[in-house]
Amino acid sequence: MSQITLAICRHAPYGNALAREGLEAVLAAAAMDQTPDVLFTGDGIFQLLPDQAAGEIDQKSLHRNLQALPMFGVEQIYVCQRSLEERAVSSNRLAIAGINLVLVQDTGGLISRYQHVLSF
Amino acid sequence: MIFSLVVYSAPHAGESAATAVRFARALVDQGHRLYRVFFYGDGVHSGSALAAPPQDEQDLLGQWQALYREHGVDLVVCIAAAQRRGVLSQSEAQRLERPAANLAEGFELGGLGQLADATAHSDRIVTFGGSA
Repeated sequence: MSQITLAICRHAPYGNALAREGLEAVLAAAAMDQTPDVLFTGDGIFQLLPDQAAGEIDQKSLHRNLQALPMFGVEQIYVCQRSLEERAVSSNRLAIAGINLVLVQDTGGLISRYQHVLSF
Repeated sequence: MIFSLVVYSAPHAGESAATAVRFARALVDQGHRLYRVFFYGDGVHSGSALAAPPQDEQDLLGQWQALYREHGVDLVVCIAAAQRRGVLSQSEAQRLERPAANLAEGFELGGLGQLADATAHSDRIVTFGGSA
């Protein structure tokens, strides 16, 4: 079992504060040399869509947090394939500069490989 | 076994904050070690000293404080999440020029590093709330 922690991002980017606060926790852990693996699943996959006009609802864009991930050693993130299909989001619409997106078929199997899971 | 808990939900908003404190009590009663409880997101409201629920309802604040008094449980409220939601220690209230402080006795403000630290030092992390 992996000693690395898996952070799961499950919330749409501006509908729930846990989306932002989850990414902040990922960056904080990485800054302490405990870089977690990261999985986006459920509505969390919407965080990865480009061209978010967060300013229209007086929010800060989450993209700055996402783009900081490679600087903190997060160079790949897992994305739940089924969550994409259920929401009719094509994987080629997702892009974060400097990060390799890995589509996961067996999301449950991925999660079960980790000793520690932080769910946001 | 060494446990840490993460609490995302506000007290009295749903069942999960109450489940968290009961789970914490059960852990220490069974002889497990509770390394830390980390309050994040709306969970930071658990650390407000100003909560005054009716007398015939459960007193979650008092239950957390009892765990602190009896077992020295480390109750850490995320400082960034708390500032956004208005849970401030005396020193933070002064520094941010706010008219009052409300961080309850037994709780301390801490950074997200303490969540990472808890993950590294615990056999199990159990999360409460945050499903909505």
